[in-house]
Amino acid sequence: MKKTIITIIAVVILLTVGAVYENRFILNEFNDFDTSLSTLYSKIENQTATDLDVYAVQSKWVEKKRHLHAFIPHNEIKEVDLWLAESVIYVKNKQWEEALPKIEVLRELAEQIPITFSVRLENIL
Amino acid sequence: MLVTLIRTLIIFITLFTVIRLMGKRQICEMQPFEFIITLIISDLACIPMSDVSIPLVYGIVSILGLFLLHQLISLLEKSGNFCKLVFSGKPSVVIDKWGVNIKELKKNDMGVEDLIESMRSMGYFSLDDLDYAIYESNGKLSALEKDSEKKGSAIPFLVVADGKVKKNNLYKLNITENDLDNFLKDKRVKARDVEVLTADDNGRVYLKVKNKKYEITSLKSIGEK
Repeated sequence: MKKTIITIIAVVILLTVGAVYENRFILNEFNDFDTSLSTLYSKIENQTATDLDVYAVQSKWVEKKRHLHAFIPHNEIKEVDLWLAESVIYVKNKQWEEALPKIEVLRELAEQIPITFSVRLENIL
Repeated sequence: MLVTLIRTLIIFITLFTVIRLMGKRQICEMQPFEFIITLIISDLACIPMSDVSIPLVYGIVSILGLFLLHQLISLLEKSGNFCKLVFSGKPSVVIDKWGVNIKELKKNDMGVEDLIESMRSMGYFSLDDLDYAIYESNGKLSALEKDSEKKGSAIPFLVVADGKVKKNNLYKLNITENDLDNFLKDKRVKARDVEVLTADDNGRVYLKVKNKKYEITSLKSIGEK
């Protein structure tokens, strides 16, 4: 009986701490990524962005995704990779009109991915 | 993580309810909740292992969730009889001093054939070989054997189960439906009131009529009539 109670408490603590950490970690990482994307978006809008700006966002994402792989399905990470790679080319070629929608999609992903991990009825069902 | 955990809980509760409603024949030497955990846990472990796009932590959290449920249910079971009754059910006495208890069999979604089959696997071929038989909550049959002198020596066939005549078995015993009708008339019983009637090649009959104690009689009385 004592052993059972101890294991229950241990698992409850482990799962609660894990769940809270996961939620905060994902939210923080994507908020940070969204801030970078927002800056890039403004630069593209003003047509002042360079390929170095996009590379900076890309390398930031590469750093983040190393840890995010533990919590997020790898396909979702791959999706961000692909959109980011496309925007690098458009900015490099100064195709601002094409680059903007790509960044917009990335921002949408950065907003939506953390939502899919929050405790909501639509995520449970 | 919490979403995975909640989904695990929902699947567990659904499966648990279904298995409990299915009765004891669906499980084998496991409590219902242990059976469910066994069912789910293999898949939970396999999916993140085989699908590399799913983080391993998903499988680990689900398995931990199941472990937590298992421990909680074990604890609740230890805490009181009511909880034990809800989670594991109670043993069913299917043969007592009155004979086969059809009501208890039906409660567990079983028939006389299932009982006979379980008994055969234990080495008992006739319903009157046992004084008591109990289906434990894990689905296993426990039996209290009768004195060996009172036991039959031939394999009995089920002739009437829950008021329905098994014509194939009548044929195997070389008995006509008329013979059976005469036998029942002689006993002043209607076929629909017969819960169990078995007969063997020696003409030994086990007869259990609704709300009456079972009796061991002989089919030879038919021929004499």
